[in-house]
Amino acid sequence: MLVYIHIPYCDSRCHYCAFNSCVGRFDTRPQYLAVLHRQLTYDLEHTGATLNSVETLFIGGGTPSTVPPELYAPIFETLAPWLTPDAEITVEANPNSATRDWLSGMQSLGVTRVSFGVQSFDADKLRRLGRAHTPRHAIEAIETAHDIGVEHLSLDLIYNVSGDTRELLERDIEQAFALPIDHLSAYELTIESGTPFAATPDIRQNDDALAFFVAESITARGFAHYEISNFGRYQSRHNLGYWELRPYLGIGAGAVGFDGTVRTYPPADIDTYLTDPLRQRTEPLTPDDLRTERIFLGLRSRIGVDAAILTPKQKHRAVMLTEEGKLQEEKGHYFNPNFFLADEIALFLMG
Amino acid sequence: MVQAVPQSHIRNFSIIAHIDHGKSTLADRIIQECGAVSERQMSAQVMDTMEIEKERGITIKAQSVRLDYIKNGEPYILNLIDTPGHVDFSYEVSRSLASSDGALLIVDAAQGVEAQTIANVYIALENDLELLPVVNKIDLPAADPDRVLTEVEEAIGLDCTEHNLVSAKTGKGVSELIDAIVDRIPAPAGDETAPTRALIYDSWFDNYLGALALVRVFDGSITRGQKVKVMGTNEEHPVLDLMYPHPIAPVKTPEIRTGEIGIVVMGLKTVDGLKVGDTVTDARIPTAEPIPGFEPAKPFVFAGLYPIETDKFEELRDALNKLRLNDSALAFEPESSLALGSGFRAGFLGMLHMEVVKERLEREFGLDLIATAPTVVYEVLKTDGERIEIQNPSELPEPQKIDTIFEPYVKATILTPNDYVGNLIKLLNDRRGVQVKMDYLNANRVLLEYDIPMNEIVMDFYDKLKSTTRGYASFDYEPTGFRPGKLVKLDIRVAGEVVDALSIIVPESKARTRGLAFVQQLKELIPRQLFEVAIQASIGNTIIARSNVKSMGKNVTAKCYGGDITRKRKLLEKQKAGKKRMKSIGKVQVPQEAFMAVLKIDG
Ligand SMILES: Nc1nc2c(ncn2[C@@H]2O[C@H](COP(=O)(O)OP(=O)(O)OP(=O)(O)O)[C@@H](O)[C@H]2O)c(=O)[nH]1
Ligand code: SF4
Ligand SMILES: [Mg+2]
Repeated sequence: MLVYIHIPYCDSRCHYCAFNSCVGRFDTRPQYLAVLHRQLTYDLEHTGATLNSVETLFIGGGTPSTVPPELYAPIFETLAPWLTPDAEITVEANPNSATRDWLSGMQSLGVTRVSFGVQSFDADKLRRLGRAHTPRHAIEAIETAHDIGVEHLSLDLIYNVSGDTRELLERDIEQAFALPIDHLSAYELTIESGTPFAATPDIRQNDDALAFFVAESITARGFAHYEISNFGRYQSRHNLGYWELRPYLGIGAGAVGFDGTVRTYPPADIDTYLTDPLRQRTEPLTPDDLRTERIFLGLRSRIGVDAAILTPKQKHRAVMLTEEGKLQEEKGHYFNPNFFLADEIALFLMG
Repeated sequence: MVQAVPQSHIRNFSIIAHIDHGKSTLADRIIQECGAVSERQMSAQVMDTMEIEKERGITIKAQSVRLDYIKNGEPYILNLIDTPGHVDFSYEVSRSLASSDGALLIVDAAQGVEAQTIANVYIALENDLELLPVVNKIDLPAADPDRVLTEVEEAIGLDCTEHNLVSAKTGKGVSELIDAIVDRIPAPAGDETAPTRALIYDSWFDNYLGALALVRVFDGSITRGQKVKVMGTNEEHPVLDLMYPHPIAPVKTPEIRTGEIGIVVMGLKTVDGLKVGDTVTDARIPTAEPIPGFEPAKPFVFAGLYPIETDKFEELRDALNKLRLNDSALAFEPESSLALGSGFRAGFLGMLHMEVVKERLEREFGLDLIATAPTVVYEVLKTDGERIEIQNPSELPEPQKIDTIFEPYVKATILTPNDYVGNLIKLLNDRRGVQVKMDYLNANRVLLEYDIPMNEIVMDFYDKLKSTTRGYASFDYEPTGFRPGKLVKLDIRVAGEVVDALSIIVPESKARTRGLAFVQQLKELIPRQLFEVAIQASIGNTIIARSNVKSMGKNVTAKCYGGDITRKRKLLEKQKAGKKRMKSIGKVQVPQEAFMAVLKIDG
């Protein structure tokens, strides 16, 4: 079992962001964390989780570092008996709000991994993305986290923002590797509808070669490419859990839960969530849906696709792709050697 | 109430014109002037009943109505037939005129005489019909009725001393026109006591009443309960019911009298026994001579129609059968393609007809279809002396078995403003045309007549003509027979395999340029896929052009965590549905448009 907790607060809005989060509702934080606690308690008891079975916890957002550690304390207390001893406990943080106090507070609650939303070390690019921090903030925050002994550190980068060049990205990657991280996520910019960037879609640059360049540059420095946008010496067990379709609890406004066959959706709107966190929409998945998901998730990551789940037609296509060198077969699984083609291969297999 | 009116008070006439000159709109005004349709039930071009006619604003099928009209206190019957103007449907004009005693020749007051004006006049003259020149759209600022009347006199040799000027839009001149119809269109003069002698000039299928025949009674009459004989089939049927056509709904009648038109219900399950052009007579006392019929509609253009989903073959067959009930010009027979599976080779009157049929199949029957490149019919004399007809390029025998290929030629008539003559002559020369005639109708309008292979003009010529002359030229053609041609089959290979559905027959002299252009066009149309796709054009085993669709480099979205999975799945499913509209040939996905791509290439 995995647990995801959503913190829908940010101190400013990034131009590309479509996450469920809001700016300027900080007054509701204590109440939100309390209601969230209520949902967590309820879900733990009603979804077949057993003590000592939660292997990973991920606190994401929004910006979890906008919430002081004290407010998280009851959650950790409640979760403690359910967690396995070696649980991976990740929290996302933004460089400008991840202070030494906050980081050490979170560490003492049990956090083992911090993932920093850095995006770039180029001041001008950060401004254009609408980020609230500077390159200096990012470097300091990560060094501090290391200093106080957080075991696993990760950072995010964005590429194919217009103006990105190999040189700029090479500098970003070099700077990232100069820091004590064991994991890096590199996302190609996606223009999401409803975001400020949707009005200026040209901000996204269509340079496929740059994507390959970024991946090569990161792997050349020793991180394994284990999913389209994820690299690491350490691979996040929480992320891998999603792509393996393991069950997860989705706690918080706009979070999504999954019990193996049904997805659950608590209210996404904060106010609705505050009054009625248990009013969840459910989405049952058919065996076909699940097969499709296993196919595309397996192809975008190192997980691969179990040949046993494929229909005879799909199997036939997989064999064809293997003969063409587009897939590799090993012990009854098909692996995709080029994650950047994952969707195209999935479509071909789905036929 | 239906009342008996003597033959002297009946007028049977068609409205003919070039496309868009206002036939259907004028029909509206005449219908209204006769008070046949209430204000509430009236709509623009009320006789264009098919959805596709309404949408495109064109008439596809000729329609008849019977109207009551009082003149000087005396009742008259006006039987009006509105005809299509587009060249593809000139067969509709022929059958309409065969049942008429006269016709209104409509000419647009701004545009003047156009190619189908002339073509339709010739059909009327063959039928020996009285023609009333009518200049329409006189409300337009650019209207110039005098010039137009002079054009009619000079281009057609029709005396225009007596003429009508109307605006079908405002209604101006319409009641005078009706007076002229009564005065000048000859009344029918059939023998009322002779045995029944009626011409089937349309037939169609009604879900409730079965096959229906629309007839013009030349002699005698048809009565309910009468036993009649269809002379072509020699089959006898009882008359179950009779109706007069009316713009909104047919009106029942116990009898269709001499000189009238009407609908005959015989309870037949198919229209096969009610061929247009056939004669209906009395079963017991048959007439000696059938009415001279007319040539059945003959398809000129053939193309393959294939369901994208291979299991929809039977559905396509049903749909084609149903369409043919109301469209006797549509011909089809099953064929199969290595690339596309099972489908039909269908024959059409022209490109517009083909477009209309495909659109109706897709819309009215919910089918997803691939139409292959249209082709004309070729005749091939084989070295063993056998002569065969080819409707599909892939049927062409191997080169060493061919003695001669004969291709169809047409007489093409083009009317154009003087300014474009130079460009047009160049276009026609490129298309292997030979000039037969060039007449100046007046200082600014030129009539060109060309002898030209049909395969150069039935496909994309119309679009080319319009773009060359900014839409000002019009064009008509008429088949003139088969002649030997130096032709070869050009094959397209996708990923090394010949795709039979893409083969075309081209003049040898143009094979190379066409091959290059075709390959280029396909390269644009076939999207990048997982594999590099080689596209080649070949004649026999010789590759004459090649190109590659590069393999896709990247197709993936950046983020997919727990909350994104459902959205991502739905997106992929949507993309998959989009791909379903493409045809898989081996491992290559080819979009529908590719099969028609040949129409977009020059040369
Ligand atoms: N200004 C003006 N427009 C007219 C007149 N008569 C028809 N039109 C317009 O001309 C266009 C063609 O009219 P239709 O009645 O559909 O022409 P048609 O001859 O039946 O066309 P086809 O059946 O396709 O050959 C329409 O947009 C009419 O509104 C007229 O007297 N004056
Ligand atoms: S900090 Fe993160 S969640 Fe907040 S607006 Fe920026 S990208 Fe979105
Ligand atoms: Mg019309």
